[in-house]
Amino acid sequence: MNVEEQIKDILARITRVDKSIITRQSTFKEIKADSLDVVQALVAVEETFGIEIPDEDAQKFQNFGDFVSYVESRVPQKEKV
Amino acid sequence: MGGDYAPEEIVKGALLAAEKDDVEIFLVGKGDLLERKLAEYKVANGSHIHIVGASDFIKENESPVDVIRRKPDSSVAVAAKMVKAGEADAFFSAGSSGAAAISAIQFIGMVEGVYRPALVGSLGSFAPNTVMVDLGANVDCKPHQFLTFAVAGSVYARKFLGITDPKIGLLSTGSEEGKGNDAVREAYSLLKNSGLNFVGNIEGGDILNGKANVIVCDGFVGNVILKFYESIAGYAQAWTERKLRKYPPLGALARLMFKRLFPATKMSSQTEKQGGGILWGVNGVVKIGHGASRAPQIAIAIESAEEAVKAGVVESFRSELARFNQGGKL
Repeated sequence: MNVEEQIKDILARITRVDKSIITRQSTFKEIKADSLDVVQALVAVEETFGIEIPDEDAQKFQNFGDFVSYVESRVPQKEKV
Repeated sequence: MGGDYAPEEIVKGALLAAEKDDVEIFLVGKGDLLERKLAEYKVANGSHIHIVGASDFIKENESPVDVIRRKPDSSVAVAAKMVKAGEADAFFSAGSSGAAAISAIQFIGMVEGVYRPALVGSLGSFAPNTVMVDLGANVDCKPHQFLTFAVAGSVYARKFLGITDPKIGLLSTGSEEGKGNDAVREAYSLLKNSGLNFVGNIEGGDILNGKANVIVCDGFVGNVILKFYESIAGYAQAWTERKLRKYPPLGALARLMFKRLFPATKMSSQTEKQGGGILWGVNGVVKIGHGASRAPQIAIAIESAEEAVKAGVVESFRSELARFNQGGKL
């Protein structure tokens, strides 16, 4: 499973939304993710990929695509596919 | 350690609870400060009262979400982690309710099928066979949350009120199916097909008449109603006394009636009497008290948390939800 699918799974599990409605253009508001959902997703993604996402970086995510691109840029190449 | 009168009243309340019951209490907060407080009361750390140091705390003006990433060593997070680790059976906080709830969600975890915890409470006095969920833990709710609220309320009604098949009502702006906001309308459909004893929508005027034993609503509405409800008795008493003042014999009788037979203090909800409410849906007993709690309320809250542990409320809720959730309804 690639990075995008893994993050989509995490976000869908936390927010209880159907995974199919999450696209790269989806904002957190559109996914009905509140601040706690987002923080829980950040923690889960950090644990899953063994990375740290500073708050100042997370605050720049405008949509799901930004989140995925950021994680992809931080995850070692072999884990991306 | 939080609360408007912390640490003084919290420590006094813990000592009161420890005197009455065979309970072991861990005070979580700034270690040196708590040591000094215990010394003032000539109590040794390690008898029935233990101090657990926490380097940080959540201030009232801070975002409760900070407890997860920015302040994982705050007192409320440390207390939640103790429950998760099995070092404590329950935790109580009179500090930021949001921080306590978020610590419980993140560090203890939720019962399978539950999205967020809810506060359940019996309305007591005017409606002794009625409980309300949610009383303030979830200001904005997703439709499926109303289902877990209904299950939590049913378990509470069965366990604490002895009602075998509680009637579930959904609070709305009209009794017809299509009434209410989007979340309520969607929740109606979920409850109708849930297999619970759902009696449909109920209106504000039905809250006290027993039409439903479990009234389900979001935490915004529930909290407003709870606080309004708790304020009624005092106002009714003052109003009646004022009206009867011009008829001296009746005025004296009214004062006697209210002070001896019908005191306003007995007309509040059970949540108030129990020093706060339990967060239902968490995988452990978590009790949230009023910020303004003084020592007697703290002691009551500790005792009722102990009762909840002994009554196995978490296990009951978990098994009820599992039974209800067969087929993945949640």
